[in-house]
Amino acid sequence: MKKVIVACGSGVATSQTVVSKVKKILEKNGVRANVEAVDIKSLDLHVKSSDVYIAITKAKKQYDIPTLNGIAFLTGMGLQEETEKLISLLK
Amino acid sequence: MDVIQSFFQYILDFGAAVFVPLLMIIVGVIARMKFREALSSGIILGVAFIGMGIVIGFMLDALTPAAQSLVEKTGIQLNIIDGGWTSMATLAWAWPLAFLMFPLQMLVNAILLVLNKTKTLNVDLWNVWGKILTAVLIIGVSGSIVLAFIVAAIQMVVELLLADVNQKQIEKITGIPGITCSHSMMIFAVFLLPFNWLLSKIPFLDKHVDADTLKDKLGIFAENHVMGFIIGGLLGIFAGYSLQDILMLAVQAAAALTLFPMVAKLFMQALSPLSEAISDFMKRKFENRELFIGLDWPILAGSNEAWVAMILMVPVTLIYAIILPGNNILPFAGIINISLAVPALIITGGNLLRMLLLGVITTPIFLYVATGFASTITKLANDTGAVTVQDGQLISWSTLEYPVFRYIFASASEGNIIGIIMVAVWLALFVAYYKMMKKRTEKFEKEEEQNSAA
Repeated sequence: MKKVIVACGSGVATSQTVVSKVKKILEKNGVRANVEAVDIKSLDLHVKSSDVYIAITKAKKQYDIPTLNGIAFLTGMGLQEETEKLISLLK
Repeated sequence: MDVIQSFFQYILDFGAAVFVPLLMIIVGVIARMKFREALSSGIILGVAFIGMGIVIGFMLDALTPAAQSLVEKTGIQLNIIDGGWTSMATLAWAWPLAFLMFPLQMLVNAILLVLNKTKTLNVDLWNVWGKILTAVLIIGVSGSIVLAFIVAAIQMVVELLLADVNQKQIEKITGIPGITCSHSMMIFAVFLLPFNWLLSKIPFLDKHVDADTLKDKLGIFAENHVMGFIIGGLLGIFAGYSLQDILMLAVQAAAALTLFPMVAKLFMQALSPLSEAISDFMKRKFENRELFIGLDWPILAGSNEAWVAMILMVPVTLIYAIILPGNNILPFAGIINISLAVPALIITGGNLLRMLLLGVITTPIFLYVATGFASTITKLANDTGAVTVQDGQLISWSTLEYPVFRYIFASASEGNIIGIIMVAVWLALFVAYYKMMKKRTEKFEKEEEQNSAA
């Protein structure tokens, strides 16, 4: 199963909010994946074992895995686009 | 009356891990969650309390003997253990009236939006816990539930107004339009204002420092397990432990810091269906308005300046903890001072040198307020039964968010004259900050216009 990570300042609050949103969306669309909230301080470590990274920040650093805009999941703006990207990445 | 009262007492006596989930299930059903979902969320919430209780107990048992040994060996009295924000969130949610903070926040936000006093819709419902913590601190100090809700409501108004005036600066830093940070931690920027003003008069400090390279080099120290290991190890050394005991304490400390967020995540997991429902409801109500969406602070976590400041403040905080007379808190789980770095990032506009100096100037405030609130917080922990703190153990939070605001409002709520005067001074500073950021916003807007014209 593919793994999606969402990172925030402590891996507790914002990232977990996005995780539950994403899980719900994936469930609705019948896509199975591991979605996990992680601590941005240990992001480099987590990226190695993941397939998609949903970022809440605009990172200067580029990662080897596709990166999506997590703000869309928080505000609802651009949500459709990010959802489609995510689903196509996981299929 | 007596029957009702003893019934409530009976419910409370179940302990937070039982009665808060019960409340959560009832609130969830009222908010039209499916019963199955509400039940599942409720049980997870109970699991979160039990889990946090285990980790906090583990931390206290590991660190307290070391702190005692430290005082015997060196005379340095650091007998209050720093449980960080996750421990404080546990205490906050254990307050029987905690859930009332949701409707209060919705109401305050709706009123300010309807009256056109704010442009921010705060959809970060998780951080109502900050207002809950303020409320329980006020009750702990003054005993008044009414004052607790009044101060919490004031805090809600203040955070919305700050979110409004900070929006443009936040957009400059994050590059994301239309959003702002409605986290209360921005309140500390009001206190930073005079210091920042003084520092801005020193031209030398206007230098740009490359935070990106520093972040790459120092980043590893910010990882929870590494930070825990170092602090635990240092404590063991100063406590005069044997090599074996030093290393064991170091790994135990690393374990505590690693487990805290893993367990605290459960709170969020339990509360997110409810907070999602509330934020969707609010968004629908104000759909046709041009709004700033108020989010939690991690939208700013891409700023390397913030991380470098937080990491470099760690040794500063530890040194202050040792040398400041009257400080009794041992910085541990809360040592990464987000509460300082984020507002400093905003007020300085990302000037790392000034952020660091603001940190050096104001870190003692954090430690003193943490020491000052320790007995209140420890008593709260035992009263709610959320966390068991043994006799002789004390718990607090070394980097308590907006310490000045909380301390002076708590002091004013006791009827302390100095506290009331300080509240008045604080309000004046708040107005000054609001105006300063408004001017800054206008300047940014003018620059944008010129750029698009050119």
